[in-house]
Amino acid sequence: MLEVRNLTRRFGDVTAVDDATFSVPGGVMTGFVGGNGAGKTTTMRMIMGVLGITAGRVGWDGREITTADRRRFGYMPEERGLYPKQRVIDQLAYLGRLKGMDAGAARRTVMDHLERFGLAERAKDRVQELSLGNQQRVQITAAVMADPAALILDEPFSGLDPAAVDAMADLLRDHTARGVPVLFSSHQLDLVERLCDRLVVLKGGRVLAEGTAADLQSRGPRLVRLVLDGDAGWVRDRPGVRVADLDRTTVVFEPADADAADAVLRDALHRGRVEAFAPVIPSLNDVYLEMTK
Amino acid sequence: MSPWAIVTRREVLVRLTDKAFIIGTLIFMALLLGVTGWAAYQDSGVDHYEVASTPADRAMVASLEANAPEVDGSVRVSAVAVADASAARAALADGRVDAWLHRRGDGWELLTQSETKTSLFDATQQVVRGAVVAANARAAGTTAEAIQRGATVTSRLVEGNVDRENLGRAAGMIFAFVFYLSSLMFGVQLAGSVVEEKQNRIVEIIASAIPVRHLLAGKIIGNTLVAMLQVVVYIAVGLVGLSFTSYGTYVPELTGPVVWFFAFFLAGFVALASLWAVAGALASRMEDLQATTTPLTLMVMVMFFGSLLFQGTARVIASFAPPFSAVLMPIRIVEQDASAWEALIALTLLLAFTLVTILVGERLYRRSLLQSGGRVGLRAAWSAPE
Repeated sequence: MLEVRNLTRRFGDVTAVDDATFSVPGGVMTGFVGGNGAGKTTTMRMIMGVLGITAGRVGWDGREITTADRRRFGYMPEERGLYPKQRVIDQLAYLGRLKGMDAGAARRTVMDHLERFGLAERAKDRVQELSLGNQQRVQITAAVMADPAALILDEPFSGLDPAAVDAMADLLRDHTARGVPVLFSSHQLDLVERLCDRLVVLKGGRVLAEGTAADLQSRGPRLVRLVLDGDAGWVRDRPGVRVADLDRTTVVFEPADADAADAVLRDALHRGRVEAFAPVIPSLNDVYLEMTK
Repeated sequence: MSPWAIVTRREVLVRLTDKAFIIGTLIFMALLLGVTGWAAYQDSGVDHYEVASTPADRAMVASLEANAPEVDGSVRVSAVAVADASAARAALADGRVDAWLHRRGDGWELLTQSETKTSLFDATQQVVRGAVVAANARAAGTTAEAIQRGATVTSRLVEGNVDRENLGRAAGMIFAFVFYLSSLMFGVQLAGSVVEEKQNRIVEIIASAIPVRHLLAGKIIGNTLVAMLQVVVYIAVGLVGLSFTSYGTYVPELTGPVVWFFAFFLAGFVALASLWAVAGALASRMEDLQATTTPLTLMVMVMFFGSLLFQGTARVIASFAPPFSAVLMPIRIVEQDASAWEALIALTLLLAFTLVTILVGERLYRRSLLQSGGRVGLRAAWSAPE
């Protein structure tokens, strides 16, 4: 488990990350969301130790993280590229060796990953000869090849087509399956909703929320949607109910409690036919927009 | 394998397989071989002369044919027998012979068609004089040796000799030029490779995997190894080429100065390499490199031109002052102007300087390497938090 506690980073007068606290538990994927300038990259760089920490700390397995711990992490920086003129296999093997793998093992692992991505025959190509999507596959290989103890990935899915996203998501799930914590940032909320077990929402350097998608969705008002065969205007006059939206036969209301909602349903059945009666689950996007407003 | 050794290995392999590097090295080697080869060809050039002789003068021309190579190693004479004076003039006119040696009045005349053959004339003059003096001596009942006894004049220089001085000056220029070329070429490459890593963010992956100090050490050691290898090849090619010229006898004598040159090159190169790495780390993009490397480019140029332009006391002082000593002291050594203890003092000072640049360079590199977004000022880099 990776723990970020009261992490703060200031650049001169600007506070890029402000007292951020959250956890990245093992075995699940944690999505790190927030707009541009929210502090995602700065936080990840501090976790990886490539940027100094102004205040706060990063914990690993219940203690202060060390350089040796970080060395076992897989990291994919933002705005990345590799050595453009070096061959794919050579530079991945090089990075593997820097991570402590021996030369033979590094080459084998690299070839396994390239095969998985259908890139085996491009192993001897120079990185600059690959398409951007393929370069990204090479970069993720660099992050995951050495059986990392944790994965810190900055926008790993940006610029990938849907099939590539699925392939990469499968790869990441392999790592969560063996208990590895994975933190990845993204501004594509639909993707995060689909792939992540947990979310951390960042805005202006502060953590706004942390939890599962359902946790976040349940934080807003509990709304109920009722569709009748006749006019639904009478709902406004019921006690213990606040109407959020009314469109002739359809009404969205916020009941004070479960009893108030039941009373509305009983009344509706009494008055005529009920087409639908269901809780309104806001999309993560709506929750996020509401939260970061 | 230690991280720095892995980085070193990559730097060496990348450099050795770089086409521009290979081509540049081959061109410079070809240039060296060309220059020494041309000099050797010039030295080994032997001039052949056909010299006509009429029956009366056969003996003298035969003597010239036999003795000319002894007098001047580059002169070979073949005697060509002609019937008489008019046949000799005809042979001269149509170019069958280069000269006609014949008795004229009280002495001898070397007749050539339209140009004076200086080397042939000098050789002829000596051979004829020797033969005539020997004949005269015999006639007077003595020997040529007896007549010439005590008349020999030899020349000797109080200091060194001209050939050795010229060679020293030339070798010194080559030392300075090789240092200039290597440190500039490798320096710019090194700075470029640092900023390439920064720009591609691969440095963040590396920095999270190994200590930044190891990355810097690997880059400096790798580039230094390749630069040394290149210089060793250059010097070896140069010395082998030189051994085929008339300066060949000095090759063993140059071994000492060459070893000193390597020592100074190594110390000077490493000192500058750590600064070039800093210049790369201060930039964020290739476009910034021009600005961050200019002070170093200027320094290397001042070192090079200073080594050529400094005179007298200034030159002696500069030959002890790092970083100038890296270039100037080996020049003074090869010019036989500096003694071993002077070289040792200069090398010690240079090594101390190198140590300082490594320590300063390491701090600046470490603190600016992971800063992105525009150029990093020196002061900001020095005092930046880690």
